[in-house]
Amino acid sequence: MATQTVATATTGQPEIHYLNHAKGLKSWLLTLDHKRIGLLYLVSVIFFFIVGGILALLVRAELFEPGQTLMSAETYNHIFTLHGAIMIFLFLIPAVPAVLGNFALPIMIGAKDVAFPRLNLASWYIFWLGALTMLVGIVTSGLDTGWTFYTPYSTMTSSGVTWVALGVFILGFSSILTGLNFIVTVHKMRAPGMTWSRLPLFVWGLYATSIVQILATPVLGITVLLLALERIMKVGIFDPALGGDPVLFQHFFWFYSHPAVYIMILPAFGVISELVGTFSRKGIFGYKFVALSSVAIAFLGFLVWGHHMYVAGQSATASTIFSLLTFLIGVPTGVKVLNWIASLYRGSIWLRTPLLYALAFLFVFPIGGFTGIALGTLGLDVPLHDTYFVVAHFHYVMVSGGLLAFLGGLHYWWPKMFGRLYNEKLAQIAALLIFVGFNVTFFPQFILGTQGMPRRYFDYVPEFTTLHQLSTVGSWILGLGLLLVAAYLLHSLFKGQPAPANPWGAGTLEWTHTGRIPSPHNFERTPVVTRGPYDYHLAEEIFGNGHGDERRTPTVTPAQGQAQH
Amino acid sequence: MAGVSEAATGHAEAHAHHPPYLQHHFVSAEQQFDAAKLGMWIFLATEILLFSGMFVAYAVYRVWHPEVFQAASKLLDWRLGGLNTLVLLASSYTVALAVHYAQLGDKKRLVQNLWLTVALAGVFMVVKYFEYSEKFHHNIFPGGNYAYEGLQLPYVGQFFSIYFVMTGIHGLHVLVGMGVLTWIALRAQRGDFSSEYYTPVEISALYWHLVDIIWIFLFPLLYLIH
Amino acid sequence: MAHATHHIIPRPLLLKVFLTLVALTIITALTGQADLGVFNFLHVPLAIGIAVIKASLVVLFFMGLKYDRPVNALAFIIGLLMVGVFLAFTLLDMLYRGDIGNLSPEPIRGPQIEQVEAPAGH
Ligand code: HEM
Ligand SMILES: [Cu+2]
Repeated sequence: MATQTVATATTGQPEIHYLNHAKGLKSWLLTLDHKRIGLLYLVSVIFFFIVGGILALLVRAELFEPGQTLMSAETYNHIFTLHGAIMIFLFLIPAVPAVLGNFALPIMIGAKDVAFPRLNLASWYIFWLGALTMLVGIVTSGLDTGWTFYTPYSTMTSSGVTWVALGVFILGFSSILTGLNFIVTVHKMRAPGMTWSRLPLFVWGLYATSIVQILATPVLGITVLLLALERIMKVGIFDPALGGDPVLFQHFFWFYSHPAVYIMILPAFGVISELVGTFSRKGIFGYKFVALSSVAIAFLGFLVWGHHMYVAGQSATASTIFSLLTFLIGVPTGVKVLNWIASLYRGSIWLRTPLLYALAFLFVFPIGGFTGIALGTLGLDVPLHDTYFVVAHFHYVMVSGGLLAFLGGLHYWWPKMFGRLYNEKLAQIAALLIFVGFNVTFFPQFILGTQGMPRRYFDYVPEFTTLHQLSTVGSWILGLGLLLVAAYLLHSLFKGQPAPANPWGAGTLEWTHTGRIPSPHNFERTPVVTRGPYDYHLAEEIFGNGHGDERRTPTVTPAQGQAQH
Repeated sequence: MAGVSEAATGHAEAHAHHPPYLQHHFVSAEQQFDAAKLGMWIFLATEILLFSGMFVAYAVYRVWHPEVFQAASKLLDWRLGGLNTLVLLASSYTVALAVHYAQLGDKKRLVQNLWLTVALAGVFMVVKYFEYSEKFHHNIFPGGNYAYEGLQLPYVGQFFSIYFVMTGIHGLHVLVGMGVLTWIALRAQRGDFSSEYYTPVEISALYWHLVDIIWIFLFPLLYLIH
Repeated sequence: MAHATHHIIPRPLLLKVFLTLVALTIITALTGQADLGVFNFLHVPLAIGIAVIKASLVVLFFMGLKYDRPVNALAFIIGLLMVGVFLAFTLLDMLYRGDIGNLSPEPIRGPQIEQVEAPAGH
């Protein structure tokens, strides 16, 4: 790889970039720069990921042996609920869009910023406001309903449901603002020449995600609001003791929460597309299909929520229709997976850490997807519902989507974010540990589920001990891998080798048209786009113009070279 | 904050011929206007979906218990509801006029119509206040707290839960709208807007119309059940 | 800046729309109260139909969507569509509750609701 050898290609003048052009805490807390806001989110979601991760280790530790191992059953209820609620609302939902999306999206489409920078910053503050509101409830009285808050238990329990519900309500605004901002940005802020069919697939993924965020999140808002009102003033919509219908609560909840799983996975699809494209050097096979299948999934995702309610008392007519519609979701998802594999096929694969994560994703995600189809099968779900099979299913999809894609994307954009490289060897070892650890943790859970291990129990029959212990050991391997990531990334942050502007030889604007670290306004002048994101054969900023012009450095490359073309 | 970001790079060329209201990350005023407007329409879509939950709850309970809804609806005064409908329609009209005058650069009439809108919104809230206090006086509360002697039926509580939550959230929107329109009116008085730049007026007007639209549906659904 | 999106809606048109809205409000209030005899089943469609017309007038003229960029209309319409999806699928469940035969339409009943009529499933 020619580009790999590019050393620190700075031209000598003092570098001014978005990290150093203004200093001090205030310049960060009041920043309107989408890249800095992305980093604010990065720190925040990593914090919550660590908290959620520790809780997960506690859950697994309790399950190491049958009977009470570490904590009482009540405590266990709190711990697994907090793990789920924190991971979903405070890590998975914001992780890829608000961190990687905020950082990369405007640059990728050649804009100076998102359409509404102030709202963007506001969304980060609202995120924290929501998180702290949740925390009030959690600290004062815990939370033991599971992340799904099903009534009637959630209207009866004395734990902090009211506060947490209000916190989730507030968090919803943060998510909506991000989505709204991205949609307007993609529609209105594209650089000249950046047509819809030249959008990088990560942008398409974020665009589809934003549609879901905007259409689904308000319903979560009214759901948790009604839940809080149910507790505060007994409105009796969901509470059966007052004549309400608890199944209606589930409709409300899943109208949001099934689409919400696509909030977690669609941006991940986008990241994987970038990684596959860049590291196979071949462009994405079936670009249009990959792009549009994201939008198709976004809309289809609204038609299947009833598959969570097959055994909740929902009418059989509705269940049957929801089951049929659930199968449809597999089609656009399959289109994506097959296209990625076709893109890799006969590409010139460059096996770097980001691609390792993408490959891990390509292994893990289909297992999650196929088991999803299995669960979507009405007859099959009746025995499998609320067992570890479901737990394994959603971890296979959410960890592949939320964690593997997030880490892959983080490793991919890291040099652009901080201008430094990380230790490739350690990174590959860590990726391997995470991959192995993840599968050891969750694969046994499929088996446990089919054998009848119910979810959310802190105890089990002795026959399940071996598989549970395997799963717990897996969680340690996974944790070790993540610690290693933390270690070398921290090292890279302060001591890492300076990265060239385009260490991967990627073809999208954030690599080809910005400095090693982007300047505060991203571009010296608005780029003019003349090719698609994966048209490497046209990318003269990376490979030179074919006339032996050795100016090839992918440092700051203004657009005029192309425009004169 | 603008200072922070502008200190850095040499894109000063951009600023010379830009009008003062144009934010630096936009290329043109047109782009800024379009972005703001699309943003508002998307926000309105989210508002509709926020209310949709209540409409769904309404539909479910009405389908299940039509006669209860009919009886409970009689406890609401359709004259007051109708009056408030007319008041909100009028306020929609005045705010539409405000935009019209903003486009023409007629500052005086713009300001007049904005204040008129705020006043009409105030009337709406006053009427609502009387309605609410009359209900509370008769122990008509949401859900489990419903205790009106005159009508005791199972599920009446649900009707009034839906009534209070829907009109309550709607009322909150009216209050927010009053705040926003007051702020816009003050800015208009200060001379912030012209026929070249009136985006905030138009955006807030859009929001206000949506508040009106929600009420257009609430009125027949809650007050006029036969 | 003269461009398509800045359509100025003439005042007489705004007034006409407003007056129509007032008229429709009166109609809906009157028909809502009236006993339509055999046509009583028309109450709901009538009320909703009039509300839809009124809302459309506000959207098209007061909000100027008729003269606006199509993408704004798209955003709004997709929002409405999702409300339809939400309503339709939820009602699909509600209307067929108990269709397996051994379940009551409302799965869980509170103690004090016992004496209630339940005419939902026919
Ligand atoms: C191929 C697409 C998918 C299908 C067909 C599918 C299907 C299902 C079904 C039927 C269930 C209900 C199982 C039960 O409770 O009995 C379920 C649960 C779940 N799925 Fe999926 N799924 C898919 C993809 C995803 C993705 C991409 C995610 C997240 C990124 C996800 C997250 C979840 C979660 C969190 C649950 C458990 C919810 C709970 O706590 O009860 N699924 N899935
Ligand atoms: Cu689902």
